[in-house]
Amino acid sequence: MSRFYRRACIGGLAGLVASVPLNLSVGHVMGAVALGTILGAAYTVTFRPLKNAYVDSLMVGTSTGIPCWALFTLLLFPLLAGQYPEWEGEGMRAHFPALVGWVCYGGLLGLLVQGLNDLASKAFGPEPVPVSRRDDQKRRVVILGGGFAGMQTAAALEQELRGDPSVSITLVSETNALLFTPMLAEVAGSSLEGGHISTPLRTSLHFATFIRGRVTGIDLEKRRVTLDMESSAGMEPEPAREVGFDHLVLALGAVSNYRGLTNVEKQSFNFKSLLDAIRIRNHVIEMFERADRESNEGARRALLTFVVAGGGFAGVELAGALNDFARGILADYPNLRPEEVRVILVHSHERILPELSELLGAYARRSMEGRGVEFRLGARLHDAGPGVVVLSDGEIRSQTLVWTAGVAPNPLLATLPCERDKRGAVKVEPTMAVPGTSGIWAVGDCAALNDGKTGKPCPPTAQFAIREAATLARNLKAALEGRPLKAFHFDSLGALCVVGHQTACAEFTLPFAREKSVRFSGLLAWLMWRGIYLSKLPGLERKVRVLLDWTIELFFPKDIVQTIDLG
Amino acid sequence: MTEGIESKDADASVGTGKTVLGLGAMAGTLVGAVGGMIYATALHGSPLYGVLTGAVYGLAFGAFFAERCSSPGAGLIWGLAYALLLWLLVPAGLVPWLAGRHAGTMVDAARDNFPELAGYLVTLGTPLGIAMGLLAEFRPQPGRRSYVASRAIVVGGLSGLVSSVIFHTWMLKGGYFPLTAGISEAGARAGGASLHLALAAFIGVAFGLLFQQDIYGYGSSMGWGAGFGIFWWFLGPLTLHPLLTGMPTDWSADHASDLFGSLVAHILHGLIVGVMYATVDRLWVRLFVESDPIRREAEGPGLRTIYSLGWGAAAGLVGGAVSAPIMVATGVISKLAGLESELSLAHALALHLLVSAAIGMTYGLLFRQEGLSIGRGISWGWVFGLIWWYLGPLTLLPLLRTGEADWRPEAATALLPSLIGHLVFGAMTAFTFLLLQRSYARWLLLDPRHAAREKRRTRPEGTPAPALWLFLLGMGILLPILLG
Ligand SMILES: Cc1cc2nc3c(=O)[nH]c(=O)nc-3n(C[C@H](O)[C@H](O)[C@H](O)COP(=O)(O)OP(=O)(O)OC[C@H]3O[C@@H](n4cnc5c(N)ncnc54)[C@H](O)[C@@H]3O)c2cc1C
Repeated sequence: MSRFYRRACIGGLAGLVASVPLNLSVGHVMGAVALGTILGAAYTVTFRPLKNAYVDSLMVGTSTGIPCWALFTLLLFPLLAGQYPEWEGEGMRAHFPALVGWVCYGGLLGLLVQGLNDLASKAFGPEPVPVSRRDDQKRRVVILGGGFAGMQTAAALEQELRGDPSVSITLVSETNALLFTPMLAEVAGSSLEGGHISTPLRTSLHFATFIRGRVTGIDLEKRRVTLDMESSAGMEPEPAREVGFDHLVLALGAVSNYRGLTNVEKQSFNFKSLLDAIRIRNHVIEMFERADRESNEGARRALLTFVVAGGGFAGVELAGALNDFARGILADYPNLRPEEVRVILVHSHERILPELSELLGAYARRSMEGRGVEFRLGARLHDAGPGVVVLSDGEIRSQTLVWTAGVAPNPLLATLPCERDKRGAVKVEPTMAVPGTSGIWAVGDCAALNDGKTGKPCPPTAQFAIREAATLARNLKAALEGRPLKAFHFDSLGALCVVGHQTACAEFTLPFAREKSVRFSGLLAWLMWRGIYLSKLPGLERKVRVLLDWTIELFFPKDIVQTIDLG
Repeated sequence: MTEGIESKDADASVGTGKTVLGLGAMAGTLVGAVGGMIYATALHGSPLYGVLTGAVYGLAFGAFFAERCSSPGAGLIWGLAYALLLWLLVPAGLVPWLAGRHAGTMVDAARDNFPELAGYLVTLGTPLGIAMGLLAEFRPQPGRRSYVASRAIVVGGLSGLVSSVIFHTWMLKGGYFPLTAGISEAGARAGGASLHLALAAFIGVAFGLLFQQDIYGYGSSMGWGAGFGIFWWFLGPLTLHPLLTGMPTDWSADHASDLFGSLVAHILHGLIVGVMYATVDRLWVRLFVESDPIRREAEGPGLRTIYSLGWGAAAGLVGGAVSAPIMVATGVISKLAGLESELSLAHALALHLLVSAAIGMTYGLLFRQEGLSIGRGISWGWVFGLIWWYLGPLTLLPLLRTGEADWRPEAATALLPSLIGHLVFGAMTAFTFLLLQRSYARWLLLDPRHAAREKRRTRPEGTPAPALWLFLLGMGILLPILLG
């Protein structure tokens, strides 16, 4: 017997007996009995039974009787009899005896319900509680990668499933936080604290399990993934762990693609992770410290020359932030001269920011040049060595090279027996299911996905990853329930890029004319950038921290404390 | 569908202990007998009869309620509700019925028996409850919330003062000194004001000391405040004031009618004290308790608030829509419309819905910590509706229209029709809010961190909330009917 049915029976019976004084209020025996029984059942279903709580039940019952008097005796009974409600003072006073009847009914009902509940517990045991499926009967959804795509899939799936006990969700990632990459350049540029743009995955998830570990193998046939639990120095290595799945979501993102330039890979800084950004910041400070004690002008200039390879969003934002940072901290190094500091952006095409319109690209370039950034456009990076960066059209003496010029989907995907595009991303259907497999899905930067409506390839951006993840979560739920899947469709909202202090450019697609866009630049675009990305940053606490960092930056100089040992 | 977060421990019990029962019965009999004697003296009855009935009432209270009176504050609320119930059943119900009084004149009997109500509350319910609560201090109470006296004094005093300042400036316009109710009439106005402030601080401190453990959120704090206000009205203007000014105690319904304005003022002041107390207390807990890293909570502070506002607005709209026909029929809507000069019915309805959504938002903010059971939620909903009747048509509407609140018993009587509308509004809003809150909370509570946090924050079973509902709903609805 379901607990509600049991409660309704108890309540109905108690209401039936308690309806004796209700007769006084209703004035109609059968009416009083029927009403008493129905209200008794309703009362018992809505209040959770407790053991031995007689006085509590008495009070709950009597207190419910009072508004019931107002509702039934004063309002509904007259209305049913085709009369005007008795809600004037006089009417209420005239019906005072009915109030006493209702109070007696309520009190009696409370006591009887309590007694019957206690009896029922003794005779039939406590109320049945719905049992959830055993762990080994649960369908397991495993999500690999805790970036925008993976995290959003897990969070949206939690929402979709609403705690469905028959499904377990596991998120596996080698980092334990979601990195908000759009603000990464500000960490490298010492505007923001590193931790403030990362949101711990554990705290964002409610009932999904999180495992911090590195995926080293994916066996689609045996339906399990192998995790390498990295251990810290001095600790006993943990054995590899295997996690089985029924549905697997690949959200492993992308890695830097050095296009076979091994020296560049060795000599340059990567710019993908939080640690990369923190390293760059500390390295820049280190270069200033060394330059400060360097007497040779040539060597000093090389120390103070910073080269960024790649003129996409990441490269341009980083170059702008490094330029502001380097020129800003000069004040702390009176021995160094502004003209000795160089920030150079190397880009293989003639135009930076190809994702934006030509006009905005040119604006960005002008504005950055005005602030001291140099551009080597149409130049390719050929090689790099200690203290030198070799370009297709010459050499730059520099101790700092940051690579943002190319990304490739996670190399782990190459081990999978499924089709990939020329970048190496897993080809998926517009529903994000991997064709030719069952229960395997890919999303975000590691998926080669075409829009379900326009057929255009979806770009590898966070903006798309988040939307893809929401559709994927719905499709996962549909797949679990055997319903048809939906194709992904999303029209890009536009793009924003910060190019320097309080300057940005922005291009937004018009909602009803997708081919048209509006453009902004300067302070307004910068304010938009900050407003929009702050609202997108997950977690109220992180928002507050970032806002504080930004406010502090308005009044105080950038921090030059070195926080890590670059070894 | 009704299970709240407590549903996991299906065997939940609020229990009874035999020792407590015996000890409670003994103490109850004793206190009841003394209370009965004072009662008889005050009402010029036979002392022996007073002692005997008092002892019987005390015995029953001690035997059945002692376990529930976990603190003097909890005891007070149980005691007051017990006294009201006794009065409703015996002097107002059974006695006239047995005496064969005609149904139409039973309300006159209740009015005639009004002194008994005051006597039951002041000389029986109050001492019995407080005594049982004091007794509880000597027995172990596992799972009881911690009690910090310094916090109760500071927070209570501060909230008492702040709310009296808010209330005082507001009421000065109307010439009200509700708490002192005339004690200072002889003295200067400034003297009256300082007496008023001192009394307000005292009331705040008493509120904190008595109810710190029973208050979970802003809404319940408001409820406790209103209940305390009603109690204080019986104790202060109706009982202590005549005693202090050397006059005979007059508990008659006529005298109480004269002090009806003061009753409304006490209720409103109680509401403000309650909200202020909960606000300052929350701040205290946030600053000095929850800031401790070991007590860190999982979810950021803003999220629940934003959700609650949204659910509250939606719930308020539903409540407003359901209660709209009653509000139209009782003319409240046209009064609301009167604020904005002449509005058509459609405009007035739209305005009503808008106001309902806003009030619903306050419900969301105030009552989200009162548990997830539909039954309990609806009970708080009735209370919320009642509070809004005192606050809205009785106070704010006339204040906005004429610049003065109208707290005459006749005004309250004229507004009685809309009381039902407010009750329906409150209950519907609470019901809808709970449905929305539960659909969110149910799966969220699978997260053990949230479950633990919710368990810590939401009202468990066994607190005096049911007694408060009875006392508030009973008094809040009965008094305007009896005294109007
Ligand atoms: C500097 C920078 C700025 C950017 N700015 C913007 C912007 O302004 N707007 C925008 O829309 N996009 C921006 N992007 C792009 C955006 O960050 C990516 O498109 C987005 O992160 C893709 O999300 P994803 O989940 O697919 O991959 P990722 O975010 O890269 O996540 C991959 C996850 O997989 C984990 N992982 C990888 N390998 C393993 C393994 N073997 N085992 C376990 N876990 C593993 C990683 O730890 C990571 O958590 C920027 C990128 C960068 C680098």
